[in-house]
Amino acid sequence: MNRQIAKLGAVLLVCYLVLFAQLNRTTVFGAQRLKDNPENNREILRDYDGPRGSIATADGVVVARSAETDGDAQFERARAYPEADLFAHVVGHYSLNLGSTGVEDTYNAELVGRTLDLSFRDINDLFVDRDGVGDLTLTLRADAQRIARDTLGDRRGSVVAIDPRSGEILTMWSFPSYDPNLIADQDFATANDVFTFLNAAPDKPLLAKAYRERYFPGSTFKVVTATAGLESGDVTREQPVYPVASEYVPPQTTRPLRNFGGSSCGGDLFEVLRVSCNTAFAQMSVDLGPEAMIGTSEDFGFNAEPPIDLPGPAASNFPTDFDQNLPALAQAGIGQNDVAATPLQMALVAGAVANEGIVMTPRVLDTVRDDEGTVVEDPAPNDWRRAMGADNAAIMREAMINVAENGTARNLLIPGFEVGGKTGTAQLGTDPPRSHAWIIGFGGRPGEAPSVAVAVLVEGQEGASEQTGGRVAAPIARAVMEAILAAQGAG
Amino acid sequence: MHLLRRRTELGLILVVVLITAGAYALAGLGKNSEMPANIGPFLGVILGLLVAAHIAVRKLAPNADGILLPLAALLNGVGYVFIVRLDEAQDEGGQLAGLQSLWTAVGIGAFILTLIVVRRTRDLERYRYTFAVIGILLLVLPLVPVIGRTINGSRIWISVGPVNFQPGEAAKIVLAIFFAGYLVEKRELLALSTFRLGPFHLPDPKYLGPVVLAWGASLVVMTLEKDLGSSLLFFVLFVVMLWVATGRTTYVTVGTSLFAMGALFAYTQFSHVQDRVEIWLDPWPVSKDEGFQVVEASFALADGGIAGTGIGLGTPTRIPEVETDFIFAAIGEELGLLGGTAILCAYILMVGAGLRIALRADSAFDTLLATGLTTLLGIQAFIIIGGVTRVLPLTGVTLPFVSYGGSSLVLNYVLLALVLRISDNSVKPATTTGGGAEVTAA
Repeated sequence: MNRQIAKLGAVLLVCYLVLFAQLNRTTVFGAQRLKDNPENNREILRDYDGPRGSIATADGVVVARSAETDGDAQFERARAYPEADLFAHVVGHYSLNLGSTGVEDTYNAELVGRTLDLSFRDINDLFVDRDGVGDLTLTLRADAQRIARDTLGDRRGSVVAIDPRSGEILTMWSFPSYDPNLIADQDFATANDVFTFLNAAPDKPLLAKAYRERYFPGSTFKVVTATAGLESGDVTREQPVYPVASEYVPPQTTRPLRNFGGSSCGGDLFEVLRVSCNTAFAQMSVDLGPEAMIGTSEDFGFNAEPPIDLPGPAASNFPTDFDQNLPALAQAGIGQNDVAATPLQMALVAGAVANEGIVMTPRVLDTVRDDEGTVVEDPAPNDWRRAMGADNAAIMREAMINVAENGTARNLLIPGFEVGGKTGTAQLGTDPPRSHAWIIGFGGRPGEAPSVAVAVLVEGQEGASEQTGGRVAAPIARAVMEAILAAQGAG
Repeated sequence: MHLLRRRTELGLILVVVLITAGAYALAGLGKNSEMPANIGPFLGVILGLLVAAHIAVRKLAPNADGILLPLAALLNGVGYVFIVRLDEAQDEGGQLAGLQSLWTAVGIGAFILTLIVVRRTRDLERYRYTFAVIGILLLVLPLVPVIGRTINGSRIWISVGPVNFQPGEAAKIVLAIFFAGYLVEKRELLALSTFRLGPFHLPDPKYLGPVVLAWGASLVVMTLEKDLGSSLLFFVLFVVMLWVATGRTTYVTVGTSLFAMGALFAYTQFSHVQDRVEIWLDPWPVSKDEGFQVVEASFALADGGIAGTGIGLGTPTRIPEVETDFIFAAIGEELGLLGGTAILCAYILMVGAGLRIALRADSAFDTLLATGLTTLLGIQAFIIIGGVTRVLPLTGVTLPFVSYGGSSLVLNYVLLALVLRISDNSVKPATTTGGGAEVTAA
């Protein structure tokens, strides 16, 4: 019997070794996969009542913080957003029952102090229990953000400003916005009602439209078409000279494509960009062909989600299936047809021109500091895409400065700075005539690399003339750029 | 003679008391940020109970193994701390902790009583067929109308007045005694092969009767009482004891095939068996319903990490039945890989000690009984920890000494007392009676 007992012991030992191996797998090696499982909300629950870092803007305004509650409250801490709706679409909200969005979501690990840098600085931290939360500083500026809010007013729209050299987002505002304090309320029934109401509102105030909603870019897209021309080599400063015409009939159709108000235009690249000549850009797009247009669009970031550090960015769209449908390609060349872009993407287009053709990875996080104020995370600027060569970027930059100084974007000019831009008016319908008013642009000290790039969209404006973008959107962009340039000069 | 063993036992018991009291204090600190008010009385009560058990061993089984009681006390103590902690966190809690401390006292009483009553294992051997009848009766008792109760889908309870009891817990021990007695009597006959069936050399079919009987009984438990864990446990117990007694691997092969056939039959015929297997293979499609428990247990263990969240700092009460079948998940969450491994080590050490006692036992009956009881303990812990960690399909059995539950705790203490009795017998000078009640402690 003794031999069997020895074997039995060995078998039981193996059984327990299997348990030990599985325990290792579940608690340590496979734990992250289980924690990341969308059905696992343990971490949210645990974090919810724990300490949580604050969020401040680049100019030192606190936009989210955790405050201790009264003694008899259900939870020890409550999240508060002192600036209410101003940063709702960037910072988001942090709620137990309604989840979290924005920076509260993407940087949750930093805010609760669960990153390696925050939780484990040296071996002592294994034994000492610290409130190892991270305090975030954003790249956005509260002063410029307020100007964006005030100048846009109660018109639906979005304002995005970036530093084209680094990809840092300086301003990102959409109207309508919402007050995250209402969603984060610990009276869950009320919060739920507010959320349901906001979610059903036709203006979609909960949606961060600046990077999650797509619109026809209209004539601002001509910057992309012009870049495609330069990059292909078929278009230069001087050649070709597009015929002065009031309409252009693409191949394969008899339906002409017209200029705004039936006007006639034509000329070289600078001239057709200055007056935003539809017929010339439609012809340019058809001449370049689908491959060149798709290629350059995607080099700017179209058809890909931008790698921004905010949840759920929308990919801007440029059609990839023209199937030799040249009339569609002609429309796409002037930002119509199925072309759709987020305001963020259009700011990146202006930024690429300003930054020698390089699209930087957009981001909203400047630094993470630990509880002692030491910087533990300081992300470096990253290239995302190369939209064009530096030589062509210099040409495009000059062409856009020409548009601001002599063309449709005059309202963008800021005395003492070198400013370039491109307007856009994306028609939505003719009865009554309505359109999205756009402007994209950049600004900086003369002779230096531009230090700010913007995109402004004002939705659903009455009327539909090429002037709309310059008249409606440009003053907002100018005010925001002015504030940022002043702050950069002071800094 | 073996005073050293008793000193070791007492020293280890004091360590266990310190660990338990420390864990209790930590649970209070973790949950309410203050020392539990009753830490003094608590310390006194567990110290009193364990020292009483120790003195009983000193008087009644002075030469018995010295590490089994401290290991059981450690498991019981850790389990109790977790039951208190889980009970406090439940909305309608407050009941279980008090009951479990009562059951612990009853368990230690039963431990002492067993040592007093069972002075010689030979007495048990003599009444083997009586035990067989009692075992079968206990097994089918829950099926009797009026007193039988179905709780959580398993008909394994009886209710007499206010007391609920799982007779299956007692049936395991009683049947282990019967098997040991029966196999000692018949093992030579069972080891002979006089009959060929295909590749198998089998003994005379008439000696196979008990094998088929055990198989049938375990199928009854599986199908009528819907208690998969106990069914598996009975059958493993019987096959292991048969194999150890005869040295014939054929029994393992035949037994496993029979059980596999039975299990396959049950799988095709009974939806609750299918559910368990499907949840084991892939719990995610039903993670909100039938698979919720297993999925939440995995999440709890993942939260635990290496060192755990700390006692009282996790959220193990999200797992249904966490005080009983799933208590290992709570330990894994709050004490982490380290705490979970400590529990595994405690069981494997108990298995090792039990099998060592079996090897050194005086008689074949003692050897078989010690093997059977040790197997019961080791396999039961393996089945439930395996179920919780998804090594095996989940079959609800308690985690010995740790889970909440009176029947299980009390009878595991009885089991422990029997193993200690065998251990005590084996180191005495062989006498004609095989017993040694007249030998008193030095």
